[in-house]
Amino acid sequence: MARSRFLGTKINPSRFHKSQIKYLLILSPLVAFMALPLIYIFNVAFKPLEELFFYPPRFFVQRFTFSNFVRLFSVTGASGIPMSRYLFNSIMVTVLVLFFSVLFSTMAGYALSKLHFKGKRIMNEINTVALMFVGVAVMIPRYLIVEQLGLIDNFFVHVLPYLAIPVGLFLVKQFIDQIPDELLDAARIDGASELQIYSKIILPLIKPAIATIVILSFQSVWNSADTSTVYINNDNLKTFAFYMNTLTSGTNGVAGQGMAAAASLIMFVPNFVIFLIMQSKVMDTMAHSGIK
Amino acid sequence: MKNKVMKRKTRETLIAWSFMSVWVLGFLIFTMIPIFTSLYYSLSDVVLSGEGIIVTFTGFDNYAQVFSSAEGFNFLRSVSDFAIEILFKVPIITVFAIIIAVLLNQKIKARGFFRAIYFLPVIIASGPVISQLINQGAATIPQIEELGFINLINETFNEGLARPIANIFSELIVILWFSGVQILLFIAALQKIDKATYEAAMIDGAGVWESFWKITIPSLSSMVLVSVVFTIINLATFSENEAIQHIKNNMFALETGFGFSSAIAWLYFIVLAIILAVFFLIFKGFSKDRGRK
Repeated sequence: MARSRFLGTKINPSRFHKSQIKYLLILSPLVAFMALPLIYIFNVAFKPLEELFFYPPRFFVQRFTFSNFVRLFSVTGASGIPMSRYLFNSIMVTVLVLFFSVLFSTMAGYALSKLHFKGKRIMNEINTVALMFVGVAVMIPRYLIVEQLGLIDNFFVHVLPYLAIPVGLFLVKQFIDQIPDELLDAARIDGASELQIYSKIILPLIKPAIATIVILSFQSVWNSADTSTVYINNDNLKTFAFYMNTLTSGTNGVAGQGMAAAASLIMFVPNFVIFLIMQSKVMDTMAHSGIK
Repeated sequence: MKNKVMKRKTRETLIAWSFMSVWVLGFLIFTMIPIFTSLYYSLSDVVLSGEGIIVTFTGFDNYAQVFSSAEGFNFLRSVSDFAIEILFKVPIITVFAIIIAVLLNQKIKARGFFRAIYFLPVIIASGPVISQLINQGAATIPQIEELGFINLINETFNEGLARPIANIFSELIVILWFSGVQILLFIAALQKIDKATYEAAMIDGAGVWESFWKITIPSLSSMVLVSVVFTIINLATFSENEAIQHIKNNMFALETGFGFSSAIAWLYFIVLAIILAVFFLIFKGFSKDRGRK
C-alpha cells in the first residue's frame, strides 16, 4: 500500500522545463472542451427561472439561485416514502454490484486470458459478439426469466442481472493480456496455485483496470432507473435514480429544464466523487507495476 | 509421460472453468438466453396481453415488415446513417486518443491533472448529464452552423452522405468525449515500451519523428483493435443513439409490437457485426504488416 501511494505521487514531474511548453500548448485548450459539460450542468442547475428563458441562452449563470433545487424537492412526497429509503437502496445495490461484478469478471478474465483450456477461443468470441447486442432489445425476454426465477419485487433483481456484463470482462481481459506470462510461470515454479496467482499477482497488477471498471459500472448502476421501473412494483425497493426520474418526468418545458438539470446534478455528484477517488489509481496505469 | 501431460491439461481446463463458472452462469441466464429468446420473438407475432405473452410463430413476417413499412424505413435510414458515421468517427476517435495518449505520456507539469481531465468525459458520456446536454443542444458547436459550414457540406456531397457528415461536425465535441477509455488503453500500451528502445534508436541516429513512427506506433498497434472494438460498441449502445430509440419505441407500439422490435434489434446487431468484422480484417492486415509477434 505504502509503495503504491509513494509511486502515485510520481505522476507529476517535479520541475517545469521549457521543453514542456509545446505539449502544454496543445493539451490546455482541449481541457476546456473536456470540462465544458461539467461547467454547463452546474450553471444550468443554479440558474433562476427567468435566465433559462433568455434568448440567446447564456452559458454562465448570472444570478446564482437554489430555486431549482427548492422546486425539485417541493414536488416530493407523492408516495410518502422518505428519500433516504431510496438513497439507501441505491447505495446497497451499487456496493453489491461493484464488489461482485469486479470479483467475477476479474476471475473470468484471468481464466480467459492466461489459462489454457478447451473452449477458450469460443468463449472469447461469444463475449465479443454479445458486447454488441443492445441491452434494450432483451428487456422482455429478460423480464420473463426474472419472473420465472421468482425475482419480481425481490431486492436482488437490482443486483443479479448486472453481475455478468460483457463490457467489464472485455476490458479486464485486455489489461490481463498485458501481464507477461513469464511472471506467472515464475510463480508456478515457486509452487503457487492458480488461486494464489490470481489473488497475489493478477489482482494487484490490474488495479488500474479494476478502478476503470469500478468507475464505469458505478455509472451504469447508479444511474439506472430501468430495473425499478420494470421489475419492481413495491415502492420500498425502488432506487434513487428512479425517484429522481419521477420528480422530473411530470414537468417539461424550460421550467422543467432547470429542475432536470438540478436533478442530474444531484445524480452526478456521486459519480464525480467516485471518479475523484478512483482516477489517481486509473492513471497510475501499469507503469510501475512490474510490467514492462 | 503423455498421460501426465493430458492430466495437466484436464486439470487446467477444470480450474479455468471453475474460475469462470459464476460469470458464465450469470451470462447465460441474463444475457444469452434472452438474446436467443429475442431471436425467436423476431420470427413471431408477440402480443402482450393481460394474461401474459402470446407468441405465434410467423417466420420472416417481421423482417418483411421492416423493409416495407414507413417505420421500418426510418429505422433502416438511421442504421445506415449510423454505419456511415461510425466509419468516420472511429478513425477520428482513435487518432485523437493516440495523440492525446502520447502527449499525456510526456513528462509535463501537472500531468496527473491533465490525465484526470481527459478521462473525465467517461463519467459524463453515459450518465444523465449527456442526455441533458444533447436535449438542450449544448453538445453542438453553434459556430459551425453559423459559418455556413453545413451548407458547404450539403452542396459538396449527395444527400445520403451529407447528413451523417454534417452530424459528425456538429457533434465533434461529443466525439471527443467518447475517447476517455481509449486514451487510457493507449497510455497503458505506451508505458509498456522500454525506454531503452528509444535510447538505442537515438544512438543509431533516429530523430523524434522517426522514433514515433517506428517505435511508438507499432507498439500501439495491438491496442488499436481493442480501442476500435470498444469505440464501436460504446457508440452503438449509447442510449441516445437513434437506432436504439427506434427499438425502444416500437417495443410497446400498437401496430408493430415486440416481434417487430426484436427483428430490428437483430438487424442492427447484424449490421454491427459486419462493421466490426470489416475493422477486424483491416487491422489484421495492418498488424501483420508490422510484423509483431
